[in-house]
Amino acid sequence: MAEPIKIRPVNRGKRPHFFDDPAIDQLFAIVMAMSAELSVLWDRVDTTERLLDQKGTLSRADIEAFRPDEKVHTERTERRNAYIDRIFRIIREERDSLVAHDKMTEYRELMDDLSKN
Amino acid sequence: MGIVAKPQVDHAFLAKPSHDELARQSYASNLRMYTLATIGGGMRTVYDKRVKPQFEKAQGRAPKDEHEVRKVMLKDPYARAWSSMMRAAQEMVWESVVPTVERAQPELNNRIEALVGKPGVNKMGSLSLDPSTVKPKYATAVDIHLMPGNYETERTPNDATQGAFYDRGVYVYQGGMGGDNCHGIGMSLATFIARKFPNLKPKKILDIGCTVGHNLVPYCDVFPDAEIHGVDMSAPVMRYAHARAEAMGKAVHFHQMNAESLKFPDNSFDVVTSVILFHETSRTALRQILKECHRVLKPGGLMLHMELPRTATMDPYDAFYLDWDAYYNNEPYYQAYTATDMKDVIVGAGFAPDKYVEYLIPDLVWCDPAEFDAAVRGDLARGNALARWGESIKWSTYGAWK
Repeated sequence: MAEPIKIRPVNRGKRPHFFDDPAIDQLFAIVMAMSAELSVLWDRVDTTERLLDQKGTLSRADIEAFRPDEKVHTERTERRNAYIDRIFRIIREERDSLVAHDKMTEYRELMDDLSKN
Repeated sequence: MGIVAKPQVDHAFLAKPSHDELARQSYASNLRMYTLATIGGGMRTVYDKRVKPQFEKAQGRAPKDEHEVRKVMLKDPYARAWSSMMRAAQEMVWESVVPTVERAQPELNNRIEALVGKPGVNKMGSLSLDPSTVKPKYATAVDIHLMPGNYETERTPNDATQGAFYDRGVYVYQGGMGGDNCHGIGMSLATFIARKFPNLKPKKILDIGCTVGHNLVPYCDVFPDAEIHGVDMSAPVMRYAHARAEAMGKAVHFHQMNAESLKFPDNSFDVVTSVILFHETSRTALRQILKECHRVLKPGGLMLHMELPRTATMDPYDAFYLDWDAYYNNEPYYQAYTATDMKDVIVGAGFAPDKYVEYLIPDLVWCDPAEFDAAVRGDLARGNALARWGESIKWSTYGAWK
């Protein structure tokens, strides 16, 4: 039998790090990989539920064979996008705080307003 | 929330992901697009509102070029988080596709060989391989954009693995933004040429560095009367491109060739194009490829290349953002390209200066048809020409008439 075909890097260079401690970049990669695995599991649960809704029973083969149609693809994409936004909220909020307006000014104005009454 | 792109169109030679692999690939797509659009979308604000004012306060002036911007931006925690996520997301894209393609082998190679190797098989297009093709260093030295094995790895005499890997990987990388056949740029380019120059009516078209034909196959629909040719240096990629086009019922003639020394006679083609090729070649190669384009083009023919815009035409922040890939996404030739004045090198390759053209072409997959009409008429507002997926849908093109 022929050797199995393996896809291997030729030359990726040295992996860059952006934080002073490379362990933080590694942690980012780990968190992102873990978030992926939870999403994979979520899709599998979704498949299971859809099959149960449809047939009232299921087999492992049914799950493996299930492929999302356009409607399911859209629902899952939207669910994943919302999920990603919850995971990475802390970074997105930093952007929002700069984009929207000066929150501290708004807060002080609110305090002034409330203290008058 | 967010954009929902269509799933990739299946065909007979596309490696089939398992249930969980599909889920993982979909997630990698969505995560990369989120990083690019949502987190990346805040990078400019972080620069304008935080990083630039700090620099100005300390230095009494704004950063003068992309190198200064990079130095200060990459000290900012937001830019560090974005960069770290971009790098990891890019790795996750390719990693998610590896098991799917490995499992499809060697059966996929055998099926492609059965199609390729039998002259009697009724085919629409053709494949010609040339094992003597010289592989320059820029094609083999590194894993371009972190794709393991790049375009060139060839394991067996019938290997098409890297083509199969690229076909699925590019879809996942683009998050479907390039269309459900990863065909958006080619379709936009071909449609623009057909509508802008209705009298050109090309009989023979050549696309160079066409890889698996994502952006070449749409030429068949836009120019149904033309003979369509594509060249690429990689035999595995050409084998796969041929099989893919046949499976899609499209007549394309693929040739394994180095674009620096094309084997076609002088004055062969009415139109010569490429799509995001030059930033993956050396500066010397770019000049030589343009000379070859001039040679094989018929008098009165049109050459038009879609490529990244030149950093000299941008403000230092945009240039920094565009050049990020050169440093952190294994694009070693990117900077030499983005520093190049295309008019200068096109004229240097033998085209007359007054025959030089450049157009900004909206992406047909996503743009408003009225915007495309405006581009054809020649009154499109320039807008954001960064041409990054999820951020801009206008492609820069550079070319000339012979």
